Amino acid sequence: MTSALYLFLLVPLVAGVLVALMGKRSPAVADALATLAAGVLSLMALVSVGKSGILWITGGVPPQGTPGMSLVLDGPAVVMLITTNLIGLAGALYSIAYVERALKVRHHALLMLSLAGANWAVLAGDLVGVLVAVAMVSAAAYAMLAHRGAGADARAASKYLVAAGIGVALVLAGMLVTYGSAHSVNMAQVAKTVGTGPTTWHLLALALFLVGLGLQAGMFPFHGWLVGLVDSAPTSFSATLCGVLMKAVGVFAMMRVLFNALGATPTVLSLLLVLGALSIIIGALAALAQNDLKRVLSYHTISETGFVLLGLGLGTRLGIAAALFHMMNVAVAKTLLFMNAGSLEHATGGTSYDRLGDVKHKLPVVGATSTIGALSLSGIPPFGGFWSKLFILVAVVQAERYGYAAWMVAGSILTIASMARFQKVVLHDQAREGMETRRAVPALMQAVAVVLTALCFSMGLLWLPRIQADFFMSAAKVIQEGVTYGANILGM
Amino acid sequence: MELTLYTIVVPAIAGILVRVLPGALKGVRETITLVASAVTLVVAILLFRQGWVEAKVFGVAMLKVDALSSFVLLWVGIFGFLMMLYSVGFMKDRSRLGEYYGYSLLSLAAACGVVLANDMILLVAMWAFLGLMLHLLIDVAGASASAAVKKTSIIVGGTDALLAFAVVILWLMTGSTSLTQEAIPTITGLACLTFILFACAAFAKAGAMPFHGWVPEAAEAGPASAVAFLPASLDKLLGIYLLARVSLHLFNLTPAMALILLVVGAVTLLGGVMMALVQHDMKRLLGYHAVSQVGYMVIGIGTLNPVGVAGGLFHMLNNAIAKGCLFLTGGAVEKREGTTSLDKLGGLARFMPVTFASCLLAALAISGVPPFGGFASKWMVYQGIVDLGKGGGHLWVIWLVAAMFGSALTLASFVKLLHGVFLGIRARGGQGPKEVGILMWLPMILLGVVGLVFGVFAYALPLKAFIVPAVSAVPSLRVPGGGVWLNWWNLGVATLLILAGLGIGLLIYLAGRARAVRRDSAYVGGEILPAEARVTGTEFYNTITDMPCFKRIQRWAGAKNLDIYEYGRDLVGYLARGAKVLHSGFFAGGLVWLIAGAVVVLAVLVR
Repeated sequence: MTSALYLFLLVPLVAGVLVALMGKRSPAVADALATLAAGVLSLMALVSVGKSGILWITGGVPPQGTPGMSLVLDGPAVVMLITTNLIGLAGALYSIAYVERALKVRHHALLMLSLAGANWAVLAGDLVGVLVAVAMVSAAAYAMLAHRGAGADARAASKYLVAAGIGVALVLAGMLVTYGSAHSVNMAQVAKTVGTGPTTWHLLALALFLVGLGLQAGMFPFHGWLVGLVDSAPTSFSATLCGVLMKAVGVFAMMRVLFNALGATPTVLSLLLVLGALSIIIGALAALAQNDLKRVLSYHTISETGFVLLGLGLGTRLGIAAALFHMMNVAVAKTLLFMNAGSLEHATGGTSYDRLGDVKHKLPVVGATSTIGALSLSGIPPFGGFWSKLFILVAVVQAERYGYAAWMVAGSILTIASMARFQKVVLHDQAREGMETRRAVPALMQAVAVVLTALCFSMGLLWLPRIQADFFMSAAKVIQEGVTYGANILGM
Repeated sequence: MELTLYTIVVPAIAGILVRVLPGALKGVRETITLVASAVTLVVAILLFRQGWVEAKVFGVAMLKVDALSSFVLLWVGIFGFLMMLYSVGFMKDRSRLGEYYGYSLLSLAAACGVVLANDMILLVAMWAFLGLMLHLLIDVAGASASAAVKKTSIIVGGTDALLAFAVVILWLMTGSTSLTQEAIPTITGLACLTFILFACAAFAKAGAMPFHGWVPEAAEAGPASAVAFLPASLDKLLGIYLLARVSLHLFNLTPAMALILLVVGAVTLLGGVMMALVQHDMKRLLGYHAVSQVGYMVIGIGTLNPVGVAGGLFHMLNNAIAKGCLFLTGGAVEKREGTTSLDKLGGLARFMPVTFASCLLAALAISGVPPFGGFASKWMVYQGIVDLGKGGGHLWVIWLVAAMFGSALTLASFVKLLHGVFLGIRARGGQGPKEVGILMWLPMILLGVVGLVFGVFAYALPLKAFIVPAVSAVPSLRVPGGGVWLNWWNLGVATLLILAGLGIGLLIYLAGRARAVRRDSAYVGGEILPAEARVTGTEFYNTITDMPCFKRIQRWAGAKNLDIYEYGRDLVGYLARGAKVLHSGFFAGGLVWLIAGAVVVLAVLVR
């Protein structure tokens, strides 16, 4: 039933169109459609566990030299589909209560569009799919920024447009260069041509994808756009963006293209290590210098992506598996914290550290769930983030990269420091002047936060030996084996 | 289920239960807490009597009881039960009890897990979980503790990351995560690094310099009972347990590594006590003492000879007993007077005699006054240092002087504390407070008396039952030919002599009283001191801190020079400002970074 793979793209796209058409009359319809679509997607993602398949959009394996588009469901794709769509569902539920009435149709439609983009990036078996996915998410983010029309948000939107444009252009260039040298845009066919050793064109393509998709992932030094976006976009969208969208169209697509299609050369791996390591420290340091919760969280996204890239850059199976696991943990914790930032914004009117305090008592559910999210992000047991960070560290030491290991430990300590600061200033301290709880946090928003908190608690269990082997290690195997992907797909 | 598992599972389940139960049920939380900690204690006693147990979980020997862990576990159980008993009295009428008892029980479970863990990954998880519970417990004190919570979670959490690093390296070095394996000599750089990382985690938990910064802050801000439970007793036991475990069992230390321990020990000892001497708050003063005493334990282990190590471990026990007791008396004073500031207290001995007696006993014990336990253990540490000196070199003189001098300063600061809190005149005047209830005074006086008994019968009880088996089990400490390494020193006779001396003194006093005593007014600078004037005691021993060389040390240590947290904060603040400059807006910085980065990537890949 590989044709069911179409549904991962069609369900959100159709839902998005329907929201745009019918939501105007009643926001409740928009809410229902978006939630229903995200729920169906989540179910489909969960059902796809353990399955694999390939769907040729262009009808059968095309001969070399003709564009062949396909959707590929395999181990890594399943891991990412589950993460993306479950967080997407959380985002849809949260925004029912969070998003103001006037904005609902636009918000939900764009959320569906970006979910479709993320799913396409995850399933894409060809570079066109990757390009379209990147463009879809970027367009959704731009439209989300531009919704207020004028002022600071409009400026932020135009700045984002420049960055996103560069990103899309680089991916497009990478695709064209690849087509020029490999005479195909299908990743499996490209992979088969790589065996003979990298040519200059091939290296150029690697560089273009590394930068273009690294920009989407928020990798240092291509991350500058993120903070401006988070400042202006609705927090519910930032939550999904930082939680999963950037990881799907950035990290995951990069992993696919670099490892499976083009074959990651040792230099590429070293670049991933260096840029990942820099992202870890610079993201955490920049977060420590910020005084606004949303900005702090967005810089931590950069830092956490750095950990993932470090795991990938090792090129070992454990490193990649731990990186995938970390991506899941961070997605949950980061979305949770962003949603709580949104709840604080909803209740008190802002997320600046200067105007918060004593949230622990004033908004107990927000306080308690934020504590757990912060602890998971800091890598404190028994929460999920501890296990994934620990095993990235194991992988780094296993590869005898002691310098990177020490660097990563330093990054962890900075994360702990930043999260301890967040807890002190926002949760524990006396309420600061100017803070007033104007509105209660809606029950639905609190419920979503509670569910994500429960996930933070229990995700460590995913690393139990059986699940680890079946779910993460087998997925990592696909990535690690690199360009043999081509033979595997074409033989399927 | 394996017996060992009960020590972890029972308090853990009880803790979760207590945390989620509604507060309306009066007394239920307290009952569950007491029952669970009593069960833990009973199991700990049973395990102690069994001596050596290995428990398989998922077919792997995850938990193990050996000579070292069995006695630490026993004391974890004892402290757990006593502190919970005290808490029932102390925390009455306070809010957030569900959190308090829940996290206390979970701490107990995690502490048992740390001691029993035979698997390093389990050790890291339990260790870090204990740190998390510590920060949540301090937070129960409310918004006034927020700074202490932050500092604690950064130092303790940060060193957890170092512990994880150490464990990961050791795992890949030896191919196994078991703690039971051949000792590794610290001859390669990697082995040295691993040992130092382990030691950092142990130092932070125990509160040795330079990772001590959180202890006085937490001691002052946290609930007194929680401080007595974790930083004063359990964290000391566990920190030194880990240090002993890695220094004696996991690694074969070279003299250079032992030297690190000795230096850290000596600096901690003197730095801590110098800071204690100038404090104006009872709990903060005790917090610095808690730091200072760790110095003896670290020095003791650093000597790497049987007497010294035994002395260090024995002092760990004595200190946990005395310091736990002292913090409990601090809590009692706080409960009755609402403050622990030495400037606002005084004259409580008359009103709270049991609290005073416990505080006196514990203060004498920890200051190393014979015949208390603290004397016996410090004496053994001195012996260990002298034995170390027999091996050559002159550095041992420094350690010995530091240890002895630190002991004298400890006594001085306790005279100050006892005077400021219990003697003299009550600062507020008026009717003094009542003694605290039995739930609170019983644990205090028990610990105080145990501190005395452990000195008088040091060889017959604690050393024989706990310390000697633990030390004898270490291969590298075995004396050739199974010789006796303890210099048996008759503490019983010494005690009798001391008692005789006190008795003679009493006789002389009574005899002297028969004659008229000359009474006169007190003068200060030629002026008659009014009868109600009081001497706070906070200015005591300023002569010591005013001596030029000490003044310099004092000022240097007072400027937080010994606190790694302060350096870290400065460095991170500096770097973060740099990072902020780099992120001054997308078009100013971001675009340049993007293009420059892209050029670099292209240049590196497509040469």
